[in-house]
Amino acid sequence: MTSTAIRTEGLSKSFGSVVALRNLDLEVSAGEVVGYLGPNGAGKTTTIRLLLGLVRPTAGRAEIFGFDCLRKPVEAHKHLAYVPGEASLWPSLTGAETLHLLGRVQGQVDTGYRDELIDRFDLDPSKKVRAYSKGNRQKLILVAALMTRADLLLLDEPTAGLDPLMEQAFRQSVHEARERGQSIFLSSHILSEVEALCDRVGILRAGVLVEMGTLAQMRHLSALSVEATFDGSVPDVSRLPGVISVEVEGRTVRCQVRGSVEPLLKVLASSGVHELLSREPSLEELFLAHYGPGSDVEDDAAHAT
Amino acid sequence: MRPELAVSAPVSESVSRPLVSRAGRWPAAVIAWQTARKAVRSGALWGYVFGAYVATSAFGYAVTYKTPAAREKFAATFGSNVAINALIGPARQLQTVAGFTVWRCLGVLSIVGAVWGLLTSTRLLRGEEDAGRWELLLSGQTTRRRAVVEALFGLGAGLFVLWALTAVITVLVGRSSKVNISPSSALFLAVTLVAPAAVFLASGALASQLAATRRQAAGYAATLLGAFYALRMVADSGTGLQWLRWLTPLGWVEELKPFTSPRPLVLIPIIALVLVLASSAAYMSGRRDLGASTLPDRATSAMHPALLSGPTRLAVRLVRASVIAWCVGIAAGSLLIGFVSKQAGNSLKGNTSVGRVLARLGAPGLNAETYLGVGFLIAAIMVAFLGAGLLGSTRAEEADGHIDHLLARPVSRSSWIGGRLAVTTVALVLGGLGAGVFAWLGAASQHSGVSVGSLVAAGMNVVPPAMCVLGIGALTLGVRPRATSAVVYGLISWALLVEIIGGAINLNHWVLDTSVFHQMTAAPAISPNWSVEAVLAAVGVAAGSLGVLAFGRRDLAGE
Repeated sequence: MTSTAIRTEGLSKSFGSVVALRNLDLEVSAGEVVGYLGPNGAGKTTTIRLLLGLVRPTAGRAEIFGFDCLRKPVEAHKHLAYVPGEASLWPSLTGAETLHLLGRVQGQVDTGYRDELIDRFDLDPSKKVRAYSKGNRQKLILVAALMTRADLLLLDEPTAGLDPLMEQAFRQSVHEARERGQSIFLSSHILSEVEALCDRVGILRAGVLVEMGTLAQMRHLSALSVEATFDGSVPDVSRLPGVISVEVEGRTVRCQVRGSVEPLLKVLASSGVHELLSREPSLEELFLAHYGPGSDVEDDAAHAT
Repeated sequence: MRPELAVSAPVSESVSRPLVSRAGRWPAAVIAWQTARKAVRSGALWGYVFGAYVATSAFGYAVTYKTPAAREKFAATFGSNVAINALIGPARQLQTVAGFTVWRCLGVLSIVGAVWGLLTSTRLLRGEEDAGRWELLLSGQTTRRRAVVEALFGLGAGLFVLWALTAVITVLVGRSSKVNISPSSALFLAVTLVAPAAVFLASGALASQLAATRRQAAGYAATLLGAFYALRMVADSGTGLQWLRWLTPLGWVEELKPFTSPRPLVLIPIIALVLVLASSAAYMSGRRDLGASTLPDRATSAMHPALLSGPTRLAVRLVRASVIAWCVGIAAGSLLIGFVSKQAGNSLKGNTSVGRVLARLGAPGLNAETYLGVGFLIAAIMVAFLGAGLLGSTRAEEADGHIDHLLARPVSRSSWIGGRLAVTTVALVLGGLGAGVFAWLGAASQHSGVSVGSLVAAGMNVVPPAMCVLGIGALTLGVRPRATSAVVYGLISWALLVEIIGGAINLNHWVLDTSVFHQMTAAPAISPNWSVEAVLAAVGVAAGSLGVLAFGRRDLAGE
């Protein structure tokens, strides 16, 4: 077993003529928490299903702790636990029976921790799965994955359908897992969740990984948000180099600046600025910058699902 | 965070055009349409089966019992048999083609139609609701009650197609000079044959409103069918309780007396019952929550961990209820066949034309064993259907995404599907064994003198053809998962068609050889050919193994 939790090389998947994932090179170290962002259809779920060996790559390969995802799936799966975004479970089994089954199949369960998780997520395990709400089913598969204390957690939009209290319980569980040295690969489009939990973030766009790094690195590379309010008339800043996403509202201009801020500052200084705010972009702004018309990402795989 | 900083998504030109267009002239009729499409497909398939059954019954009788003397002898043998009358209904005018056809078709098809009705309506009402599809439809321009009324019209379309196909085939059969039944009588027979289906479509619709799941709803409706059947059986058992017939719709159907002395007025209580059941279903649907039951439901349950320690044991737990139901059906049918075998064998003695028909079906000679040989062909078909059903639920585990939870854990694909196929094979053996043992119990109760060994061997004889179909189905599952059910049901239906036609006329042996059942000898009339059986089983195992390999090398496929 290597110390690399996930490694992919040129991992690609097409469904017919549709490219779902193109040339993904990814490495997640043991103990690392990585967020995986992208809009619907960007290829997040495809990536996770490739890592699980549920679908086969068109090209490239993937490994979990050094075990090839296709050739050694059973060995790879001994080290991971998976939470899908939509829990399609056996409706006739109760919650307790489902946990028992999935625990036996996994081969390892921390029963004390399982009971703690059942309390934390306020789950009634005596109910049949068909009597659970969508949120409760999601809690059930979260407990089923977390109770195994697996070395790697593959989470595919795990908090879909959870209320804010349960979202807190989820974050606490992720922190605990991280403290125990478990690796986590969290696919999500809840940006605050990723921002709060992850060491590194990858952004996927139309099947291509367009950004990968720590939040600090990404902020550095990304644009600065600037908001300026003027005494008099509002100058036209939209043609200045590096200035994008300009919005004008009354006497206030909001924009983002890539690279040097000097050209913008010069214009502002000569135009009677009354108030000036500037800050690093939030993850949401980083994310949106990758998908808006102002982004500089080549739209080379626009048809991915 | 400042969402207003967000750069809005590119605006396409379509915004300037109206965004909402009307889906059609009747946007609210979408549920009726959806239900009708599925019900009509199923009604067409079963209409063909009903028609084929009417045709084989009428032609089979006309060809077999040519002389009035042979017919009188047949009528005397069966008409006075109380046990048979109790099981499949009273025999009237068995010395005529029409009398025999009504007796045999009504006895068998009223049960088949009732089961079809309750399964179809619970599947299309409760099954669709359980799958969450109704939730989407109900958020559209409709109400709960209206949706159920629409679905009932959809089911009605399926029933109409079932009737229409049965009627067309019956009219065509009636035109033959050998059968000679007037078109109006043929139409009335078709009405009689589908009446139980109508009653149980409506019963299933009501049960769908009372129960918490599709399976529970089907269980309620099946219990009702069992009660009505038991009442009908007591009424027809010649114990002076004929009036009980008026307490069960299956008795009313008998009172319609098509061909012999038609009483169309008895349709009034049948139609009234269907309307009452259907409108109660619509009424109850508005009184409960979506996904909930009207009757109290046990949403909690104690832990039963015995069959939860691995994927193969889970498979046993998931399929055991349907395997038991199938095996009970196979056992009951075999018991009946065993029970009548001695008398049937006696009535055949000296009848050369029957000998020819049976010989074409592979059962030479004219005695109880001959009759049982043909009877085990039916057992073979049922066992093959059992395998097809279990393979279908194996595919459904994949389509519904249930296996993702297993295959994302340390479970290999080959062990999962291998376990499912092994469990299915055991179920096939149980079905075959049940057929043999219960046929023997029936035969032994009449002292027919057929040995238990030969009947158990005959039961085992039906397993390899089913294994062959299962193996080809498993290969399809490995290569073209979405075609699995179509391929297995297609194979069985084709074989069934070849056997039915092959029994009536001389078919080219190349055509006959395409039927998997034709490879099997008609045990116990002829002792099983174990080397052919071994080949059938080997083809099944080989195709199944290829299927396991292919399943391990493809993407999992949803619905």
